Amino acid sequence: MTSVIETSGLTKTYGAVRALDGLSLSIPRGGVYGVLGPNGAGKSTLFRILLGLIRPTAGEVQVMGQPAGDPAVTRRMGSMIETPRYPPYLTARQALRWLALAHGMGAEAETDRWLARVGLTEAADRKVRGFSVGMMQRLGVAAALMTRPDLVILDEPTSGMDPPGIQEMRSLIRSLADDDGVTVVLASHQLLEVQRVCDRVAILNRGKLAAEGKVSDLTASGERLRLSATPLAEVIAVLGERGSVQDDAVMASIPRAEAPALLRALIEQGVDIDEARWVGADLESVFMTETSSVEGDRP
Amino acid sequence: MMLADAIRAETWRLLQNRTALLWSIVFVPVVGLAASIAGNLFIDDKISAVRDRLPSQLRLERGTLDLGQALLEAAGNLANPALLAFLLIGAASVFAGDYRWETWRLITARNSRPNLIMGKAGAVKLMVLAGLLLMLAAAVIGAVAKGLIFGNSFVFHFGAETAQSFGLMFLLAFVRVVQFLLLALLAATVTRSMLAALFVPLVIGVAQAFLAKGAPLLGWRMGDWPTMLLFPGDAYEVLKALIQGGMMAAVLPDGAGWRAVAGLALWSFAPFFMALWWFRRQDLSKE
Repeated sequence: MTSVIETSGLTKTYGAVRALDGLSLSIPRGGVYGVLGPNGAGKSTLFRILLGLIRPTAGEVQVMGQPAGDPAVTRRMGSMIETPRYPPYLTARQALRWLALAHGMGAEAETDRWLARVGLTEAADRKVRGFSVGMMQRLGVAAALMTRPDLVILDEPTSGMDPPGIQEMRSLIRSLADDDGVTVVLASHQLLEVQRVCDRVAILNRGKLAAEGKVSDLTASGERLRLSATPLAEVIAVLGERGSVQDDAVMASIPRAEAPALLRALIEQGVDIDEARWVGADLESVFMTETSSVEGDRP
Repeated sequence: MMLADAIRAETWRLLQNRTALLWSIVFVPVVGLAASIAGNLFIDDKISAVRDRLPSQLRLERGTLDLGQALLEAAGNLANPALLAFLLIGAASVFAGDYRWETWRLITARNSRPNLIMGKAGAVKLMVLAGLLLMLAAAVIGAVAKGLIFGNSFVFHFGAETAQSFGLMFLLAFVRVVQFLLLALLAATVTRSMLAALFVPLVIGVAQAFLAKGAPLLGWRMGDWPTMLLFPGDAYEVLKALIQGGMMAAVLPDGAGWRAVAGLALWSFAPFFMALWWFRRQDLSKE
């Protein structure tokens, strides 16, 4: 697995605040990689360092084998950091044309095609001063992709979008990775969307790496046995602290190997079991688990 | 190539900003032309009223108007305070626009910072060139209109000597205007503010003009080192006088021209390189 981004001991401080605290991370080439974390976890700081907008206080960072911020590398990257803004006197088409010129591109920028791909064809000749946040996001994504980058960094790409827009954006991001071979690194607070679109995720907390891996592995590690049974009190008595009641069922946090013995024990206790099935953890619960330990310490 | 990209993108973006272009390069020539035509029509009306009452032998013959001379005079008046102030609007829009609209992050990833700053300076120079040419066009149209109003005949004397003076005068005006506008670049880069880009050069310019008036009290003469290094407006006037010749050129001290060149160069290069130095180390993640 070759890496497109490698960080080692990456640290960034703003006065007394450590936005990144010795972060070591390896992001593989290809696919969609999610960077998650609560506000202030260091996601945007990481992205800004990767794009060369700010310099790290300490540590190493390489993007596509070169130091971050090297123009040779940044020219192969597309990005959208937070909600992008444009000079208000420009139309959407003019904004892309301006950026194409700034990037040394001519007709090959295919601005109209990218406007169509993000669903802005009808608004192409409207001044951006009247755009909603969602439309700005779409324009930002078009600007990031127009240069045909090898690596795309998107910070909250679906922020401010309506549900159909989110779905379109998810399809676009997936097709970039699957059809165009682009590596997409994104940050989002919409964990369900991340779970649906990302292959791997890193969870940051207070500038440190809290968890990292394939989405399927992270969610599988938190799987539990869901038992619909009567009486529930008897099930809880058998499970002790490993069981909890949730929606008229008991969630048992036990290894798979222990399941047959548990079921036998429950039957012997006279418990009627209506249903027993394994339930994987969703990304939200993984996220909450990984980030809640120090949440209370937040200033 | 990347510098050419930066200049092309900045210039193209400025061309889309019709409001800034109107106020910076169109307003002064058009209003100046309108005022000139209106003034000449008014004068002609008053003169006609008197002339019609004079006996025919006392009436003055209508003279000729040399358009070449009019062009030369216009070149000598190009770097006037009104044009400087209004060109500042376009310059501030270019220099501070990316801070105001938070768009640096969109373009910094694909070009070097020196190129981006030089691209902005290049676009402003092209705007200045367009502004000066419009001023010249307005002056020529105004001269033609004046001739038509007063019934003059036209001649166009533009020999090698006049052409040389005109070329030098135009170049000097261009340098003076660009020098003034580069103060806006420094103000915009350091403060990240469009208002500062507009007002800091104005305040500096006005302060320099007032202080220059008081320079003789300190024993500083026009053409001495202190006046030439402190007051770029005076340096411009010295060089203009040397190109035009005449009384003022005759009373200037020896070496005044070189000192004036040094003064203009100082006030051009210092703001530019200070802005560049500041910009290279600036955190652009938050415009």
